[in-house]
Amino acid sequence: MSKKSFIVLLLFLVMGLSGGLVALHPESPGSPAAHAAAAAAPPAPETPASTWTAPDQVAALERAKETVPFVDAVMDECKLCRQMRLRETGLGTKDIKHSYFVLNSPIINAVEDHYGPVRFMHSKHAAQIQDCAMCHHFRPLGADASETTRCSACHQEAFRKDHPERIGLKAAYHQQCMECHRDMNQGPVDCIGCHNKNVPEHKDKIQLAANPTPFEVTEECLRCHKAAGQDMLKTAHWLLKGPSPFTLGHRKEVEIGKATIATNNF
Amino acid sequence: MSIASNEARCTSCHVGYGWKDASFDHTDMTRIDCLVCHDTTGTYKKTPTAAGMPDPEVDLVNVAKNVGPTSRRSCGECHFNGGGGEAVKHADLSRQLLEPERNCDVHMGGYDFQCTECHRTRNHKIAGRSSSVPVVEGSFSCEECHTGSPHHGDDLLDHHLNKHCQTIACNTCHAPVYAKCKPTKVFWDWSKAGDKERKPKKDKYGMPDYNWKKGEFRWKESAKPVYTWDSGFSKRVFLGDKVDWRSGPVNISEPVGSINDPNSRIAPFKIMEGVQAVDAEHDYLLVPHLFPRDKEDTTAYWKHRDWQKSFTDGMKAADLKYSGKYEWTTSQMYWRVEHEVMPAESALSCVQCHASLQSERTCDRCHQDNREVDFKKIAHKGTDFSYMASRGRDVSHLVGTTDYIGFKALGYKGDPIIHGGRFKKLPMGYKVEK
Repeated sequence: MSKKSFIVLLLFLVMGLSGGLVALHPESPGSPAAHAAAAAAPPAPETPASTWTAPDQVAALERAKETVPFVDAVMDECKLCRQMRLRETGLGTKDIKHSYFVLNSPIINAVEDHYGPVRFMHSKHAAQIQDCAMCHHFRPLGADASETTRCSACHQEAFRKDHPERIGLKAAYHQQCMECHRDMNQGPVDCIGCHNKNVPEHKDKIQLAANPTPFEVTEECLRCHKAAGQDMLKTAHWLLKGPSPFTLGHRKEVEIGKATIATNNF
Repeated sequence: MSIASNEARCTSCHVGYGWKDASFDHTDMTRIDCLVCHDTTGTYKKTPTAAGMPDPEVDLVNVAKNVGPTSRRSCGECHFNGGGGEAVKHADLSRQLLEPERNCDVHMGGYDFQCTECHRTRNHKIAGRSSSVPVVEGSFSCEECHTGSPHHGDDLLDHHLNKHCQTIACNTCHAPVYAKCKPTKVFWDWSKAGDKERKPKKDKYGMPDYNWKKGEFRWKESAKPVYTWDSGFSKRVFLGDKVDWRSGPVNISEPVGSINDPNSRIAPFKIMEGVQAVDAEHDYLLVPHLFPRDKEDTTAYWKHRDWQKSFTDGMKAADLKYSGKYEWTTSQMYWRVEHEVMPAESALSCVQCHASLQSERTCDRCHQDNREVDFKKIAHKGTDFSYMASRGRDVSHLVGTTDYIGFKALGYKGDPIIHGGRFKKLPMGYKVEK
């Protein structure tokens, strides 16, 4: 990354942080305006769209949209050499520019998009692993090049003719994350451990006559999701009772809940 | 208080249709309400008093055609309104979390987390433990994402903060007040109910102090939690359990923990205080029948304002004997503060708890070297509540205070920097790294 873009990013980060320090509440909590605002919170169809945004997430999603120039040549050094050299430079968690990323690259989404983006806690991984070279395993060749570039600088589309040795970004992410999680016996290795599954469009799937009863709607859901229905019958949200493994004297019981003997003072 | 005899009202927060009494068929899949959780239009509503049936105005076909993942909105439809209103039960859950400020909750306001990103769901079983209810379908904790050493920097402060993780729960520092987005109910006196003449007065937050159906209330906003040792286990009073109500408040739920247990940590709680009825002979808590079953109902308190009839009916529904003699007792529930996690820069500063760091000597009490470190600045890094107070939160009385978590009440002789930590020698079960 060039010095100029580093400064721009730093400014962005500072702006993001100060943007995050905005008011807890513009009005005092008891004011009529605050109450009116609370009462008007659910966006009815006729109300204008909300302008609310989550600042850290928006910044990370913007970063995810950026594509960086492809790195053609990388420095040829053995892994141990690289680890030693990075340690000599004193590179550490303090140098991390972005502690958080959303892995949502247009390079991958252009091919398929069955799963949602992945939240990636960069600083946390760095602090746990204590070895930047574990993921930043190569660097671009140029003398001024950054030691730590994005994955997507070297890994972009799969099966590039000019670089058949490079795996694509999707494979790179999956190989890097899952292999390390397996080796360390830590972190998820299944799809929904990292991703949310995208729910497919249901407009054309739903077959309901006008004004159905609620029971007819459920039957229509069950037409495809019968297993989900069977799962549901065993859950606390359905039974309002279930196992109580953290309640002294009742740790082996499975039938305690609001539907049975739980009580409160509300 | 309990669902028994009050199903038609209480089960408006059930993921089913028509649980109006004990005869509800829990094996009938067509009674599952898929839409209440999977609606993405924001138009689906249950009628509050119809045993979970949807509002007849809802366009069910449109909702069904737009199903999707759950969200803060769909979960919050019930969970933001526990106890009959917003933030009433869960101090740290309210409609404010639909579009929260980053400072209100950094996960939801900063990073737009939906509930199930932490409350991971498998086969419709949803992970999460509450100190209020016993049911657990899976656990998770802050550490699962943030690890047991979550302060990522590599300086001395991070080292000390990470060591604190063995003794205090994350939210002790990172959620220093609860209900900061919306006032929560902290006291509810059922014995005062029934006075239709009494006019509710509004408190400084604009919240009413009375409702003839429910009794007298007190509310708190941006409240300081009660801190106590918590091992993750709870003691609970269930219906039919004998309680010693004559000698003090009945603790319906309370954490199990001890300063001597290396697995216990100091955690923040909202304590919900109540006045509720107890059977004066059987010494167990009573269930009132509150919500009328139908027009012919002759016993519901919200219709007839007669506690005797209400308890007789409620206890019959709960399948417990009622002696006919009731008394009012005070009760308490501990609710651990789990949400409203503030950004790092708004966590408690060192001096907020450690009075010794307010004096001239701070970290240099131990670190007697000539490093170029501004110890004073480090000790004051974090919130001192003045910023929150300046934004209109009810915390001005907390500005400039120290010993925030109350070391003596927790079993220490005083500030551990002066008097030492909890273990004079390493106890059995102590792990350096968790």
